[in-house]
Amino acid sequence: MNERLTHLLRQAVSSLSEAGTKDEIHAIRVLYLGRKGLFASFLKDLSSLPADGKKAAGAAINSVKDRIEREIEGRLKSIEDALKSGRLAMERIDVTLPGRTQPLGRLHPVTQVMREVSAIFTGLGFETAEGPEVELDYYNFEALNISKDHPARDMQDTFYVSEEVILRTHTSPVQIRVMEKTPPPIRIIAPGTVYRRDSDITHTPMFHQVEGFMVDEKVSFADLKGVLTIFLKALFGGSIGVRFRPSFFPFTEPSAEVDIACVICAGLGCRVCKGSGWIEILGCGMIHPEVFKAVKYDPEKYSGFAFGLGIERVAMLKFGIDDIRLFFENDLRFLRQF
Amino acid sequence: MLYSYNWLKEYVDNLPPAHELAERLTMSGAEVEGVAASGPAIKDVFTAEVLSVAQHPNADRLSLCEVNTGKEKLSIVCGAKNMVPGDKVALAVIGAELHGGVKIKKSKIRGVESHGMMCSEVELGIKESSDGIMLLPKDAPLGVLLNEYLNLNDYILNVNVTPNRADLLSVVGLAREASVITGAGLKLKDVKPVDGGALVETIISVTIADGAPCRRYSARVITGVKVAPTPEYIRKRLEASGVRAVNNVVDATNYVMLETGQPLHAFDLDKIQERKINVRLAVTGETIDTLDGHTRKLDPDMLVIADADNPVAIAGVMGAKFSEVGAQTENIIIESAWFEPASVRRTSKRLGLTSESSYRFERGVDVEGVVKAIDRVAAMIAETCGGQVAKGVVDVYPVRFKPADITFRIKKALSLLGVGAELRDNECLEILTRLGITSRKVSEGFFTVTPPSFRHDIKNESDIIEEVARVRGYDKIPCGAPVAPLASSASAERGVNGIRDKIREILVNAGFFEVMNLSFVSPAAFESSGFKREDAVKILNPLSEENSVMRASLAPSLLENLRYNLDRKNEEVRIFEIAPVFMRGEKLPAEKWICAGLIYGARNGLAWNTPKDWADFYDVKGAMERVIEGVGAQGFETSAKGSALMHPGKSAAFEINGEAIAVLGETHPDIQERFGLKRPAYIFELDMDALGANLGAGKKYSALARFPESSRDVAFLIDKDAAYGDIFSAIIKIDTKLIESAEVFDVYYGENIPAGKKSVALRVTYRSKDKTLTYDEVSALHAKVGAELTGRFGAELRV
Repeated sequence: MNERLTHLLRQAVSSLSEAGTKDEIHAIRVLYLGRKGLFASFLKDLSSLPADGKKAAGAAINSVKDRIEREIEGRLKSIEDALKSGRLAMERIDVTLPGRTQPLGRLHPVTQVMREVSAIFTGLGFETAEGPEVELDYYNFEALNISKDHPARDMQDTFYVSEEVILRTHTSPVQIRVMEKTPPPIRIIAPGTVYRRDSDITHTPMFHQVEGFMVDEKVSFADLKGVLTIFLKALFGGSIGVRFRPSFFPFTEPSAEVDIACVICAGLGCRVCKGSGWIEILGCGMIHPEVFKAVKYDPEKYSGFAFGLGIERVAMLKFGIDDIRLFFENDLRFLRQF
Repeated sequence: MLYSYNWLKEYVDNLPPAHELAERLTMSGAEVEGVAASGPAIKDVFTAEVLSVAQHPNADRLSLCEVNTGKEKLSIVCGAKNMVPGDKVALAVIGAELHGGVKIKKSKIRGVESHGMMCSEVELGIKESSDGIMLLPKDAPLGVLLNEYLNLNDYILNVNVTPNRADLLSVVGLAREASVITGAGLKLKDVKPVDGGALVETIISVTIADGAPCRRYSARVITGVKVAPTPEYIRKRLEASGVRAVNNVVDATNYVMLETGQPLHAFDLDKIQERKINVRLAVTGETIDTLDGHTRKLDPDMLVIADADNPVAIAGVMGAKFSEVGAQTENIIIESAWFEPASVRRTSKRLGLTSESSYRFERGVDVEGVVKAIDRVAAMIAETCGGQVAKGVVDVYPVRFKPADITFRIKKALSLLGVGAELRDNECLEILTRLGITSRKVSEGFFTVTPPSFRHDIKNESDIIEEVARVRGYDKIPCGAPVAPLASSASAERGVNGIRDKIREILVNAGFFEVMNLSFVSPAAFESSGFKREDAVKILNPLSEENSVMRASLAPSLLENLRYNLDRKNEEVRIFEIAPVFMRGEKLPAEKWICAGLIYGARNGLAWNTPKDWADFYDVKGAMERVIEGVGAQGFETSAKGSALMHPGKSAAFEINGEAIAVLGETHPDIQERFGLKRPAYIFELDMDALGANLGAGKKYSALARFPESSRDVAFLIDKDAAYGDIFSAIIKIDTKLIESAEVFDVYYGENIPAGKKSVALRVTYRSKDKTLTYDEVSALHAKVGAELTGRFGAELRV
């Protein structure tokens, strides 16, 4: 009997392995396990056995029956799996094709840098102010201690609308406009567009600046150094070298130019930094007592610092752009890069 | 200004090497923009001695010399004949390089080996012509590089002198600064000419007219000069400083100007009518023919130097042609003066004429150095041009220089700089002394200080503090952290900025690229948007006519950008710009912030999975709706009214509270043609100030509906010109409580629709906030909608 069982099992396994469809497997199930199947006839034979042999034989039959049951289930599952994976393979798409999306535009690189600069100063508690771009000579020059015949006017070649009205050459007039209206303490940045009568590979007649100033009792040059060093490290990375060197602006004293270590050659000397290893990045200084007098601040009581930064210049350094005119040509191939 | 390092060295002992000096100057305020090596480009040329000169065995014209370099004896074949044994010469050894890149190799000349070459001045690049080889002084040492022996190596420092530091516009001035910052000793020499003979006052007379902006005028006379080309060393120095050589007299005045910073002028004495010098303002209608060959019309506030009849110079700017020193000149007047800086600057600006002289005068020369400079130049002319310097100096100097007294408080310095007490009184005073600033102690930490005459830029205490800080070094000031109150209030401008930033985000996410254009346009572009030329803000001195008017609309710039990009095969264009526009105003122009955008080309670009549709009016309208909704504005209305740039039937205006906030539409066919566009572009211009003013209250929550809605569709035929906006608002108004929304989902013209009609389908949503509407209630409402459509709009309902 055992021999017959073993044979039956082998036969069942073999025909299962040959079966390729669910229907064939179903037929095999009926053949072996159905009510009139091969196992049914075994059970019939069982009744003819002696009582003591009955138990052992029954157990053997059930074990083989279970085994065949499992084989059938396993085979069914593998056929289903194969079917499913076949279907999935059929459904494969080319995932390397571009996605379907509303195309994304870009902010102008100048806006991006302007925002980055503003965000740093906002974090330091500076508020934002604006002023007109077509400005009175008084705010742009006179109140900033640059009289009509001052040679410092040569530093900023000016577009005139009339004798008294000009296109502002820097964002510094916002200093005056704010201080006229607001008593200290103040911390302001003034981002904006400025104009100078200049046009070549390093100059466009219009560009952007961020002006900043802080006035209170006891604001010192050391504070100026501290704030601008924090700012430049936030903008160019914590390890950037920063140096302050004396310079001249009629509206600040002491005045300084601030250099950062050249971002192109890391201070070794290259074409961008003209071999010096340093790049001039902004002008600053302690607000001149004459400026305070113009806005009726008491220079004995208050002191303050001011600075101005060219945005295109920063963008050129950050993005490695070598021609400032690209910013205003608005070629989409350029704008798409930022 | 350009400075010769060797020239500086004449005034300073132990001057640091050129590059180090440049660094120190830069870090104390005289920014050195470049250090250029100058001098002849020669290599391996040494001093040597000729030991013997013999005839070359195979050539009559050549000599064979034995030459001692100090280290070895070399045999040299030479074509020149001007040397004898014992002469010192410049020997280029094997491997040497000469002027023009000539390289010296070992060679055989007519069968005899030559181990180098004895050089002429031409070959060394020292002179333009020479006879034979260069002979050096008999006492020249052997084996020394010629560059070093003759001091041929120089460096030219290009210094960016800030407008306040007029005192640095001279070799002596920069030498003095170098001495201050490095501690190197300064060697200044006052030179006086040997004068004699007739007293200068008996030869010329000098007067300064009342009110003339001239504080001091001095003159000397030199008779019997011989005008000739200038000596070599003077010419070289002038050229190194960027000044053209003219003749020995003019060059001497320029040389001393470069050296001392005092501009000087030489007149031909015999051309000066009645030998009278009158410093006065020009007379209306007066003209002068200046040295540069132009005739200049003078204004009555321009200062001139005149003789008895006519101007002979524009004071401090340029001399007259007829009185210039030329080959025939024998007797000269030298002028050294102090003219009012503002006066010189105004004159120079108005005439569009600048010179080395005007550049210095307008920044201010040292009023106390006027006579020193005239003495120096007189001595130099006497030496280089011959002639007799007449006895004495005419020096008209009615109001003498009075040094300024400035209060200087150490405490103020410490608090302004933010340094602690480590900056001592003594250190401050020592720095001031080096600068030539004298100080008197008034009380503890309280001083009266006096700057020298050449530092007229130092006027107040903060100037003194700056001097101390910069000479001491900004690097010695620590980095501080200011203590300040928290930002007090949101700034007034933040509202506007907030909108700008939000709109930027919305548009970028809608596929727009931000552009930036110059604010000035051509008058034609200005007018193209429908503005009148007389309302333009015009620039008096534009770079070109194309950029001469401040723009009043951004759309023309965007159309230019479109054209530019189409020319570069960027054919799907979505761009926007945020900037102010300008219109003529009262005192200042009116500035208004605008956001403008443009759409051109395929709606979705060239995509593999979306149909290639051309963008149309509803794309630009959708973008505008998205912006307005995105910034939180509500309740705008559309009216069919665009701008002059737009197609009259395909443009619209958006209004909030009756105020126009935007115009949008398809470009007018004329514009399309003007810009050579294959198809229309779609543009919008949004007035951000108006939008900002109509934003309304902040966001408010309204309760979510608790009862379900019912939707019914209605389709109808209606006149083709009926505006959807009118239909929509009529339906909504039927029952503002129960009609929640109406949305159009189909509009159709054409086949099966009668001419002059269109088919429209709407979905109307009904909802009550108090209960679920019954079928009958909804039907009744829907019937009202149908009745409104037929009754009011003559619509024919389709079933």
